[in-house]
Amino acid sequence: MHILQTKNLTKYYGTEPLEVKALDGITLEIEQGSFTAIVGTSGSGKSTLLHMLGGLDTPTGGSVVVDGQELCGMGRNELTIFRRRKIGFVFQNYNLMPNLTIYDNIILPVELDGRSVDQQYFNEIAKVLGLEDKLNRKPGKLSGGQQQRTAIARALIAKPAIILADEPTGNLDSRTSREVIGLLQATGKKFHQTIVMITHNDEIAQVADRTIRIEDGRLVEGRCFA
Amino acid sequence: MKAYKYVLLTVHIFLMGAGGVFLWGRVSESRTRIVLFMFFILFSMLDAGYYLYFRRRFIIFTEEICRKAGRIMANERDGENQNKETLTSKLVMELEKMEEITQNRFSESEQEKEKLQKTISEIAHQIKTPLSNIRMYQDMLAESDIPEEEAEEFRGIIGQQLEKLEFLIDSLIKASRLESDLIRLNIENHRIFRTLEISVNGVIKKADRKKIDVSIHCDPAVRAFHDVKWTAEAIGNVLDNAVKYTPERGHVRISVVSGELYVEIRVEDTGTGIEPDHYNDIFQRFYRGASVLGAKGLGLGLYIAKNIVMREGGYMMVHSVLGEGSAFSVFLPKNHCFGFDNI
Repeated sequence: MHILQTKNLTKYYGTEPLEVKALDGITLEIEQGSFTAIVGTSGSGKSTLLHMLGGLDTPTGGSVVVDGQELCGMGRNELTIFRRRKIGFVFQNYNLMPNLTIYDNIILPVELDGRSVDQQYFNEIAKVLGLEDKLNRKPGKLSGGQQQRTAIARALIAKPAIILADEPTGNLDSRTSREVIGLLQATGKKFHQTIVMITHNDEIAQVADRTIRIEDGRLVEGRCFA
Repeated sequence: MKAYKYVLLTVHIFLMGAGGVFLWGRVSESRTRIVLFMFFILFSMLDAGYYLYFRRRFIIFTEEICRKAGRIMANERDGENQNKETLTSKLVMELEKMEEITQNRFSESEQEKEKLQKTISEIAHQIKTPLSNIRMYQDMLAESDIPEEEAEEFRGIIGQQLEKLEFLIDSLIKASRLESDLIRLNIENHRIFRTLEISVNGVIKKADRKKIDVSIHCDPAVRAFHDVKWTAEAIGNVLDNAVKYTPERGHVRISVVSGELYVEIRVEDTGTGIEPDHYNDIFQRFYRGASVLGAKGLGLGLYIAKNIVMREGGYMMVHSVLGEGSAFSVFLPKNHCFGFDNI
């Protein structure tokens, strides 16, 4: 089953003479439960694509269908709730709240949705990600790898069907990168999630089931290894 | 129903009761008392009405959820309850997710079955060639009038083919066991060094023959969660490749580094190397690099290795420079809850 689908997706910035085509007709399908890496140089449009998939940005043309729901027709409130329940985000710069403890950072998406925290699930995630003994600290006191692991925990806590990761290892050294990628893959398998990850690093992309290459806003090659 | 409504209701009943008792004591006039009593009755009725109203609402809500659940099971989604801040919407979306995961698990197991069938038929097909060779040479041997040296040669060929057959059947058993999850991994916090010893023992003869120097750099105290026998098999497969694709007098270096969450076992060789484009291919079933088609093998070694490591909650990575050598890394978890056997 295709959990993510785009059809002829375009995103243009600016007007005619100075128009920039960030995405230029992207059609792709992503299987449920797979781990897909989107690879491309900076400026190739890969981040724009990820933002479209997550409903963080609106396309100029074409459609994005996530889990059977068309994103373009949604209002802002609807889109916010949709993201909160369906999608977990992991960003390059972690985006943690500096004044909240690690525990509060992780449970934030669940709190926002007005639900109570599934404590058993929380403990499991914290254990898998090696954060158990750091829950009372503030993000500033943790290393980059630990902060990114916190961000992954936050993405997992609402049990979203999809995890979108934008250069999750961009700020990490290569040893920590490998650990974070290994974790992302292991948790995805364990919790039956679809992962779409952006990277410019082929070394990191090899862990994925499939890599999609994007250049100048177009798909160059798509290879499936599953 | 929102929580504040309950609070309102409780506070209201409490105030009414307290006020009633207080006023009853203060007022002695019977007419006022009657009015007070009437008020009391009125509010009680209002409360009962409230109770009945919310109960009714709750029943309607439950019925609606049941109806939605039925619809989701029948795969008829109306999308009318998507992305709203209501309790119904939350529940409906949660139910939909549950249904999807169940569907996904089902289709995954179907795919597994298909994959297994494909592996078996592919290997069965490969078994046919040595088998028919053996039969052919056996038939020729059966003819009485062949010279002794020719007979010797045939026997040699039969021996080789039998070896190949043995290898194929061995791989078949391992691959099918892994894919059908027949093996139970016995994952415990073992020392890596012991496991490495076992896998190195498996390839040391071959390495000696090619005068390849195999070295282990490992702190004996390092531990990781793994199954000794199958991990030794996985690392053995990686080592086997390293020795196979490294020319004579080359080096194979095994080093172990303990990270924060994983222990990395790195196997570096001075072999032919792999193009970055094929990093992912080499872990696939029956994949043989174009440049190695001459060498003996089936293309299952790394595939089996990766499967074993993944079931232990670890992962594998490769880095290579063409013509200089490759480095395979096996990452094993230092923390038990990764494994897929104990979910």
